[in-house]
Amino acid sequence: MHVPDGLLSTEVCIAAGVISLGAFGYSLRRLKDSLAERTVPMTGMMAALIFAGQMINFPIALLGIPSVSGHLMGGVLAAVVLGPWAGCIAVTLVLIVQCLLFADGGLLALGVNVLNMAVVGSLGGYAVFAFVRQRLGNGARGTLAGGIIAAWLSVIAASALFSLQFGLSHAGGELFDVRRLFALMVSIHSAIGVGEAFITGSVIGFVLAQRPDLLYSADADGAGGVVPRAGRAVAFGVMCALAVAAFVAPFASSFPDGLVEISERMQFSKLEQSRVLLFADYDQVLPGWQKLSVSLSGIIGALAVLMIVFLLDRSLRLRQRAAAADVPHE
Amino acid sequence: MSSYLDRYGRNRSLCHRLPPRLKLLLTFGMVLAGVSIPVRYWPAHGVLMSLVFIGHSIAHVPLPYLARRLAIFLPMVCMLSLSVPISQGFAAGWEIMAAILFRTTLSFVAMLWLVNVMPFDQLLVTLRRLWVPEIIVAMLSFMYRYIFVLWDEMDKMRVARRARSFGQVNLWRRWKSAAQLIGMLLIRAMERAERVHGAMCARGWDGHMRTIDDE
Repeated sequence: MHVPDGLLSTEVCIAAGVISLGAFGYSLRRLKDSLAERTVPMTGMMAALIFAGQMINFPIALLGIPSVSGHLMGGVLAAVVLGPWAGCIAVTLVLIVQCLLFADGGLLALGVNVLNMAVVGSLGGYAVFAFVRQRLGNGARGTLAGGIIAAWLSVIAASALFSLQFGLSHAGGELFDVRRLFALMVSIHSAIGVGEAFITGSVIGFVLAQRPDLLYSADADGAGGVVPRAGRAVAFGVMCALAVAAFVAPFASSFPDGLVEISERMQFSKLEQSRVLLFADYDQVLPGWQKLSVSLSGIIGALAVLMIVFLLDRSLRLRQRAAAADVPHE
Repeated sequence: MSSYLDRYGRNRSLCHRLPPRLKLLLTFGMVLAGVSIPVRYWPAHGVLMSLVFIGHSIAHVPLPYLARRLAIFLPMVCMLSLSVPISQGFAAGWEIMAAILFRTTLSFVAMLWLVNVMPFDQLLVTLRRLWVPEIIVAMLSFMYRYIFVLWDEMDKMRVARRARSFGQVNLWRRWKSAAQLIGMLLIRAMERAERVHGAMCARGWDGHMRTIDDE
């Protein structure tokens, strides 16, 4: 999952690094307000937990290959437990340590990894989570469903973002077509995202049944509720746009002219060449099977995620009922 | 598991004795050079690659270790770079693929050098003296301290699970129990963080970490 050095161009790495640095700095400032001197132990421990949790392998019996396995990414999980700001920082710390201690993920590409996994995963993921939870009435079911859906979307958004970065890096090559890579990446990751959604959902369900007070609530820290609403809206918008673009893009016949105009005004000399490719009619270049695979994988993934929500919600309620039945005996 | 971390960081060699900032700078420069030199100047890449391997041999990093790390790294990168020609219908993208393969391998081996000549405590001190905010360094050192504790805890839980379930179980069960393992670990970790925080407060924690190398 981690982007190594040499995959993306230096310009893209620097641009992503600047964005990540800004998001990281802002998260840090917000965090100092909300967690105060509890920041260091809580965030440090969360980072250590994600790091350790990524060592637990989830076997995938894909195509009969027994040794393939996946692991947790953890952005949404960290955000649900500690809140978006601390979650973003915890995931960033994990990425820094993996880079400098394991050579996992590149040095130059650190900014890219932070953007794709910590910023999109935690900040964007939390925005989706908060939205879904609010819609479902802020209860345990909303928390569970929000976490599961956010986890799935965060993986897809990360893969869509990566395709975009990759496309921008190699836009110089004339024969290179970004959208095909995009189709490939997004179809694969909507399946991988189901795994992430399941793990995140099970862990949140487990914590909800055992220690629901451990989960972050925006009301608990006084300043949390009011100010970030604008930021949350922006993050939510970006996240949804990425995820929707991933599935709707293959169907769109053309983008609104505004987008083309903006890209013209920005005058990216490199982009100029690929602009034709990026915003041209989709029907002409994207073959039918790719269109089908993207939307099919999106539909199947969404169904799987809804099923996970349903199953885990039922098991959570069973567990809560059992716990409630236990109380009188104590 | 802890043997994976800082494995050769305590070796004594010329590379290990270099000033920490120079090590960081050298690695950064190497990665930058590898990424920014166009592929058609392939002799330059050859020189860089051999420089990196010379660095490894001066630092006494054993070849089997490098081979093992590369054996995990290369298949992943191969798959990733192959996705370029695959997605282009095998008509184009081979040049991009070759560039990606070469550059990523070079950068990866250079990063491995840094990992193996720079123990983590030294890195933290270096980061403190650079532009990194104090609170980040504090969180990083806290994280590094508790990674090992959580690993031990996880191993214990794994052994207990294996003792309770005989032999192979089906895929669904394995996924469920792995997720529960993380959930349990999360609850224990957060409770531990609260306890540790209490203990830190009792010892006068005010948000600033003080270390021996403070002058």
